[in-house]
Amino acid sequence: MLDKLKKILTKIDADYADIRYEIKKDTVISFNGKELSQIGSNSTDGFVVRALKGGGFATAVFTKEDDADKIAKSVVENAKLIGKNKTKPVTLTKTEIVRETFMPELKEDPRKISIEEKLDITRKANEVPLSHKEIATTNVTYRETIREKSFVTSEGSEIREDLVTVSLAGEIIAKDSNLVQNVRVATGGSDGFYTIRNPEKNFEDRTQIAISLLKAKPVPGGVYNCILNPSMAGVFTHEAFGHFSEADIIENLPAMREKMKLGSKLGSDVLNIVDNATLANQLGFYKYDDEGVKVRHTQLMKNGVLIGRLHSRRTAAEFSEPISGHSVAEDFRYAPIIRMGTIFIEPGTKTLDELFATLGDGLYIVDAKGGQTAGENFTFGAQYGYIVKNGKKAETIRDINISGNLYKTLLGITAVGNDLVLSKRGGCGKGQMNIRSCSGAPHIIAQGLVLGGA
Amino acid sequence: MEKLLETAKKVCNQAEIYSIDNKQNVVSFENAKLHEIDTKFQSGVSIRIIKDGKLGFAYTRNLINREELLQNALNSLKGGVGAEYEFPFTKDLPKLNTYDASIESVSSNQMVEECGRVCDALKKTNGEVSATAYTYFETIRAMNTKGTDVTNKSSHFGVYSSISYPGSASGISRVSAAKKFETMPDDLINETIEFYNLSSKEVSAKGGKMKVLFMPNCIYALTWRINSGTSAKSVYEKISPLTNKVGEKIFSDKITIYDDPLNDKHPGARAFDDEGVAASKLNIIEKGVLKTFYCDLNYAKKLNTKSTGHGYRTAQWETDTITLKPTPALSYMRFQTGNKSFQELIKSIDRGIIIEGALGAHSGNIPNGDLSIGANPALYVENGQILGQVKDVMVACNIYELFKNVIDVSDTLYHSYSGLMPAILFDNVSVATKG
Repeated sequence: MLDKLKKILTKIDADYADIRYEIKKDTVISFNGKELSQIGSNSTDGFVVRALKGGGFATAVFTKEDDADKIAKSVVENAKLIGKNKTKPVTLTKTEIVRETFMPELKEDPRKISIEEKLDITRKANEVPLSHKEIATTNVTYRETIREKSFVTSEGSEIREDLVTVSLAGEIIAKDSNLVQNVRVATGGSDGFYTIRNPEKNFEDRTQIAISLLKAKPVPGGVYNCILNPSMAGVFTHEAFGHFSEADIIENLPAMREKMKLGSKLGSDVLNIVDNATLANQLGFYKYDDEGVKVRHTQLMKNGVLIGRLHSRRTAAEFSEPISGHSVAEDFRYAPIIRMGTIFIEPGTKTLDELFATLGDGLYIVDAKGGQTAGENFTFGAQYGYIVKNGKKAETIRDINISGNLYKTLLGITAVGNDLVLSKRGGCGKGQMNIRSCSGAPHIIAQGLVLGGA
Repeated sequence: MEKLLETAKKVCNQAEIYSIDNKQNVVSFENAKLHEIDTKFQSGVSIRIIKDGKLGFAYTRNLINREELLQNALNSLKGGVGAEYEFPFTKDLPKLNTYDASIESVSSNQMVEECGRVCDALKKTNGEVSATAYTYFETIRAMNTKGTDVTNKSSHFGVYSSISYPGSASGISRVSAAKKFETMPDDLINETIEFYNLSSKEVSAKGGKMKVLFMPNCIYALTWRINSGTSAKSVYEKISPLTNKVGEKIFSDKITIYDDPLNDKHPGARAFDDEGVAASKLNIIEKGVLKTFYCDLNYAKKLNTKSTGHGYRTAQWETDTITLKPTPALSYMRFQTGNKSFQELIKSIDRGIIIEGALGAHSGNIPNGDLSIGANPALYVENGQILGQVKDVMVACNIYELFKNVIDVSDTLYHSYSGLMPAILFDNVSVATKG
């Protein structure tokens, strides 16, 4: 395949070009309630080319090899058109030329496990919630996504890397007359099939939460001081801060770029945030990004001060900052964009008991349920929580959605716990999906959060 | 495709082949400068086979190896996914005007000029401006062993314009869409500018119950929940709050909701759904009264009714059509328009907010109809005047309560990020602020 890619590259008349070919293999086993609704394995494939010509950089995607000539011509024309309209030509930061085949070390390769065994594990996990009378239905899916990537550049890099991701995840839906409550359940990882074995306890625990929410109180809207558990604080880090560390988000927003200059104080003194996709055995792990750059440990915030940023080769040159290896695509249908790998708040020294004592009155908010960022604003949901009175957990609460602001919320993080946990399942949409988006944190105290209530 | 169907016929009771071929070109301007041009040529084929009441499903990108595709489908039969339905025999569909051949010759240069024109106009403000133009054209074909062989060719052109408050990356955006190259109408560009100027000042406001105007770009936060409640899938799974409520008044009588796939005035009209069933106009809610649920072949059979022609290969996040099996979807959901322009709706707000964009619409309890979204941005209104934007605003409600408190629906449907939508003004909505 690498030779075929090199041949296509010769047709691209550019100052720099690269081509990525991927075979994507999906295995999906899905239950809706007790019914199996999908099972099977399939593979799809396609090409992504990028060309730098005359100071412009353009991208193109195709699935039929016969279209290669047409695409080669159009991507160069588009690059020239961009170049003609730019006052400052696009350049790419230099990177090491790499010739390597990198296959992840897997504890149990999911490709070697029969579909019958996968079905059996999924079915048994799904039966756990369904054995409770309060559970109306479930959506539970085993998903295995294997990206077999081949990448060649006109500079001479030739890389083969596989990314193997498995997850067993879904939704447990409890019902009591007209009240419906849903709780998410998820496990998985990037280092083998073992990550989804023996899921029954996890499914039982989540089921109990779904059932307890039928009796929980909706939280009234307002402003609260909160303890966020690691899942919640991880998503908070991703939404409240991580996206603004992606250079392509702020690149063409002059006022925001000014506020996000390295050296700016955005967080409280206790806050240290890093993106480290080099951490082995974590969901976010990879070796090379989708432009052939080795991913680096990137310290983003130290004692509340912004000191680093996530980059592609193009944005690193634009910002005159170091490359970080964070240009990643969902699959062969997309050119890469800047993505977080494994982003987390580094652990502090406080125990959970100390955090509760410090909080006094407020809320304890547990487990993320998705978030969204647009500019300085973000919102994220929680699965459930508790009212905290005098440092003690009281009633269970539901319907928790939080709104925050980049410039204010991080300054409100006043304490960081010592119990870091990283997520096992990703799913960040930014025009394309990143299923390996990994985030984490210890328990933290965040002051003055706006809750929507119900 | 024909050969694949022939081969499949020999090994199963029924077979269906669905193929898609599309091309798109996207030009984007950021900070009023050309930033990216992205071209895509993509194709794919998926197959469903039914044998002894069980379903096999498989897909591929290129039909190079027919045997492998069929083998993958046969392998998936072993899992035992139930399929009691029959594929339809569909013929004599109405001819729709969905394709304008001129789309294929729209150049990147033309799109660059259009985005440049829009940005030049928006630059009259002190905001940060961006624009995107796209062309998209596709051919979809669905054929099955019952003899159905239907094709739809469609063309799409659109422009997004946006002005952000400096330092915020939040702001006002508008969308135009057509079947061929059409410049963004000046009134839309002017409206973007007017709303931006009116809201650029930051103000503070006290929370509480107030009037809330949902603009077209955020109505999807509400329709996701209506889609969930009125889907045959939710009824079958016993999680729809609307089960057994057909014929009952569930919303204000100002609300009429229908699905309108055949209307080819707008881009993307369809005479058949993604499983080859004839599409037709379907009233879901008429003057507040629930009329019916919508379904695909699978859930129609389970509920002992007929498909309403709403089997689409769609999912909340996944966009690769061929990898998805059909599921019930209201792809052409429309609201019956009301009598007031949204400028008039704003004038009728004594105290309230306008939500231009929604954040976190996916994270509330969708089956139950609960909604708790960040307003991005929220424009604060007093005595019919927009005073400015308020930050850190959250709006929470349950749509089954919310839609009982409708003041009015706008007199026009607008192209939005999620289809043709109106602006809707509601009363008595819970708004949380820091103020």
